[in-house]
Amino acid sequence: MKIQQKELYGAVILELNGKLTGGPEAETFRNVFKALLEEGKKNIIVNLKKVDWINSTGLGILISGYTSVRKAGGDLVLCNVGDRIDSILYVTKLNLLFQSFDSEDAAAEHLRKEQE
Amino acid sequence: MGSRREKMEMIIPSDFKYLGAVDAAVQDLARELSCAQRWINDFSAALIEACSNAIEHGNKLSKNKMVRVVVNLNGQQIVARVHDEGDGFDYKKYLSETSPPDPLSERGRGILIMKAFTDRLKYSARPEGGTCLELVKNCDAEAVPKAAAE
Repeated sequence: MKIQQKELYGAVILELNGKLTGGPEAETFRNVFKALLEEGKKNIIVNLKKVDWINSTGLGILISGYTSVRKAGGDLVLCNVGDRIDSILYVTKLNLLFQSFDSEDAAAEHLRKEQE
Repeated sequence: MGSRREKMEMIIPSDFKYLGAVDAAVQDLARELSCAQRWINDFSAALIEACSNAIEHGNKLSKNKMVRVVVNLNGQQIVARVHDEGDGFDYKKYLSETSPPDPLSERGRGILIMKAFTDRLKYSARPEGGTCLELVKNCDAEAVPKAAAE
């Protein structure tokens, strides 16, 4: 899985590319979050546009990121969630944990308002 | 889908990176029989989860142990059997899990995903060692678009 990073309205967008399934990806993801939090960046948008599907280990990776930014007083939201991942979030009830938006702009606007 | 039958068999190493190959093979198989995309996506999510469990909990990520996947698809149902080469585990306890874990728990959603997307799950210990998980999903009205079924 590749992770591209950019910023929008003070939020960090992580654009994932590939499959979120565990293994070495978990460590990569944790390291990215650790580095961001050390820089004081705690509002994160995970863009899943280029992620076709996810398994329960991949869900755990997202939850790990969510927990770490929430502990730091920030938030993690999702955007561009495809149908396959949406179904899995629904059956696991994680749609109640992760707020999801149709675009990076909408997600960034939400995070900006949360900070006001 | 009619009376046509398709079968797929593959053996993958105990590494998560091969899960994409399982998904691609099932998608191709279903395409041959004009299955509805949503229906096959749901089944594939369950199968990916079964293979993930076989890799992690069954074979303990051992590169020397393989996961064998056999999928049969006909007009009535799709059946997959996932065999691992591990030492076995308490699958009865695993299958009895019915409710989602704490929302912040990073583990424990595999069985939930498999149950949600299939009609039947059955674990069995293999005489030669390891565990076999059978997943069954019935072909209902959602499985095949009407035009393809006729």
